Amino acid sequence: MRSLRLAGRLAARNLRRRPGQALLLLLVLTVATGVLGVATSLLGSADAPWDRVWRATNGFHVGLTVYHPPHEPGDRALVADLRRRTSELTDSPEVTAVGGPWTHLYASIQVMGGREDLTAEIRDPGTSQVDQPLLVAGRWLGGGDGVVLESGLAATLEAGPGDTVTIQGRPFPVRGVAMTASRGRFPLSRPAQVWVTPATAQRLRGLGMTEEGFELQLRLADPDAAEAFVAAHDSFQATDPDSSVVAHMETWRQRRADSHADLDILAGTLLAAGTLIAILTVATAAVLVAGRMAAQVRQVGTLKAVGVTPRQVVLVLLVEHLAVAAVATALGLAAGRLLAPRIAATSVTVLGAPEPPPLDWPRVAVVAAVAVAVVALGTVRPALRGIRHSTLRSLVAGPRPPRRPGRLARAAARVGVPLPGVLGLRSAWRRPGRLLSNAAGLLLGVAMVVVALALRDSLELLAVAPPEPGHAASDAAVGVLYDQVRAVILGTAGLLLVLGAVNAFIVATFAARDAARNHAVLRAVGATPRQTVTALIVSQLGACALAVAAGIPLGLGLWSLMDGGDLPPVTVPATSLLLLAAAVPAVFAAIVSVPALLLARRPVAPALAYE
Amino acid sequence: MSDGNLLEARGLVRSYRTEGAPIRAVDGVDLVVEAGETVSVMGPSGCGKSTLLHLLGGLERPDAGELYLAGERVDGLSEAAWAVRRRSRLGFVFQAFHLVDELTSVENVELPALLLGASRRDARRRAMALLERLGVAARAGHLPDRLSGGERQRVAVARALVNDPLVVLADEPTGNLDSRATGELLRLFAELREARQALLIVTHDARVASIADRLLTMRDGAIVAQTRLGPGTSAAGVLASLAELGGD
Repeated sequence: MRSLRLAGRLAARNLRRRPGQALLLLLVLTVATGVLGVATSLLGSADAPWDRVWRATNGFHVGLTVYHPPHEPGDRALVADLRRRTSELTDSPEVTAVGGPWTHLYASIQVMGGREDLTAEIRDPGTSQVDQPLLVAGRWLGGGDGVVLESGLAATLEAGPGDTVTIQGRPFPVRGVAMTASRGRFPLSRPAQVWVTPATAQRLRGLGMTEEGFELQLRLADPDAAEAFVAAHDSFQATDPDSSVVAHMETWRQRRADSHADLDILAGTLLAAGTLIAILTVATAAVLVAGRMAAQVRQVGTLKAVGVTPRQVVLVLLVEHLAVAAVATALGLAAGRLLAPRIAATSVTVLGAPEPPPLDWPRVAVVAAVAVAVVALGTVRPALRGIRHSTLRSLVAGPRPPRRPGRLARAAARVGVPLPGVLGLRSAWRRPGRLLSNAAGLLLGVAMVVVALALRDSLELLAVAPPEPGHAASDAAVGVLYDQVRAVILGTAGLLLVLGAVNAFIVATFAARDAARNHAVLRAVGATPRQTVTALIVSQLGACALAVAAGIPLGLGLWSLMDGGDLPPVTVPATSLLLLAAAVPAVFAAIVSVPALLLARRPVAPALAYE
Repeated sequence: MSDGNLLEARGLVRSYRTEGAPIRAVDGVDLVVEAGETVSVMGPSGCGKSTLLHLLGGLERPDAGELYLAGERVDGLSEAAWAVRRRSRLGFVFQAFHLVDELTSVENVELPALLLGASRRDARRRAMALLERLGVAARAGHLPDRLSGGERQRVAVARALVNDPLVVLADEPTGNLDSRATGELLRLFAELREARQALLIVTHDARVASIADRLLTMRDGAIVAQTRLGPGTSAAGVLASLAELGGD
């Protein structure tokens, strides 16, 4: 306990002494934990509203949908046979309530000046035991003509009770608007859906609507037995492969998961982005910690010299970084709770207001894992190094002098590279760990920019492609989703580049600190400030060259993994890649020049006084 | 200033800010170094010797006063202009050697020559000749980390001489050397005088100071005594007399 108190005091003192570094570490950690926090909160934020509608509508535990293309009536006998066999399901002892089978008619409805495929589900005017749609406006089906619109369709049409909709070219009055958990919301879920009475259905048949199958919904005594029930009746799904009939059984959990695919795609993209940012954050933190390594190792030496045990030394470093990590985790989770509902509210699939799921351990663990990884990096290496080294060596820790002259610099001198360039190359590999961390940070940023470039081109192609017949509104909704994904990827690329720039700046600042004595010597023997600035920039450009050389192929590789889905394939133009390859080192050099210029402005004498 | 003066300081002042009142590290120093002259500066620690040397070499800027190098006023020069003067007219030798630890011995020596615009071949030839003369040619390809203190200091002296500077400024050049290496270095400095190069040495070591033509004694940032050394006058004797007078 006394050790812990001592560790706490020393850690607090360390944090107070270097508030800038602690804040920077906190900031980069919070960016990663924040994105992950939003992603984890977004996942499942549509579940609670879905559950509410599902309960209110007495939603199904197992559903059977049988579909056959309306223009291929040849398999009607097979559909009729499946309909007869539904008694095998409804008579099962596990089943407590039955909805349907309800016949589906195929038609088209006029939406946004275009045409959308429409399913009209024939319901009796009374109340169903299972999946009785939840009215949000107007009345349920009764006597007389008219339709009840699924709420997503009503929102897209901006139609309500008293309005008319055009089905098969004829106007039909809207009786009401209702929600159901048995299918996804239009327009992301297609086809659009209306509920009609048998009388209205008769009229629709007269207008050319044809049957396209039916739906049966069951409630079970034990909702958790739904998967087993589906498995036990798998024969329903095993239709003739030569036939066009599709029979599909699903559980209520599967339906819930499928109901908000757009949010899942968005959350998945955010998770991927958060992971990439987290990797880069680890690199940033590693660079930051590596910069403090010398001071840290010296502190370990000091602590050992005054009799603190290695265990206590580890404890001090652990407490210091754990404190920063804990704050970053809390901030990340809070950002998730705050932002996720706002992002989810842009979704067209949520049945009502989105709610982030309660904070559970897996969610906290995902966010905290990033912070813990950084803690491990920030603590274990300096602690082990400090413990392994003798107390005396720890006390004089500093950049290790090189063992042999650099071959690259020698070759550069032979081919006539100007002297500052050769001097820069001499110190390029002085800190290989930092160079690689820096390169890793920039590499991810460059790769994401390549992905973003490809995505932009691909989405532009998608935007100019004409909508498929019957998909006018759903294509527009998918467009909204793609826009969100594009915003996430562009934002991620931007964040990664910003973090890469922060990395570069930190590394260059520490490199300037390391190089202060050598540069003072160079100036004492006649090098101009401009020459020393150039030397420092050249010494750091290796990381950038590695990042560009590996980042562009990595980005193209990542894009080829994403490619092949619904997105139109594109090839990123070579000119864009060349521009990127030129722009990144230029920006990098500009960033590195800041600490280099600051170093060049420092007087020479004090740097020479410390040895 | 007279034509024979290579280095001249008039009323040179340099102050440092501390938590209390500013401290005058160099307080109104007047100084002249002539061609081929060797001048030693001695005084207790913290009296401003090294600061004076840094001011004379442009490594620090004076707060007041004038500084001339080979007849040119240099106290107001930019950092870049000072760099050019340093590479062509001055050579530095430091107590801590201050070799660039990423460069081999010969690369350290040829560096000022390359900065001055010499071809690689010429710079290498001159550097090797100096290393040969100083007895460290065999260590030409070694990094400073692999050299002894004496070898490092000889490489540093070679670097200071590679562009045939007008003045060599040496700050405690024997501070990190054993007595044998110190003896070798003093012999080198004697050779400089023969080459008509001026030498200004800041030192604590009376033996080193004794090789000078003149001994300047500093206290509290000011030159308190100037003594011309010659046969029968030793630096140690001068210092002892001064200590007795000043109670130091």
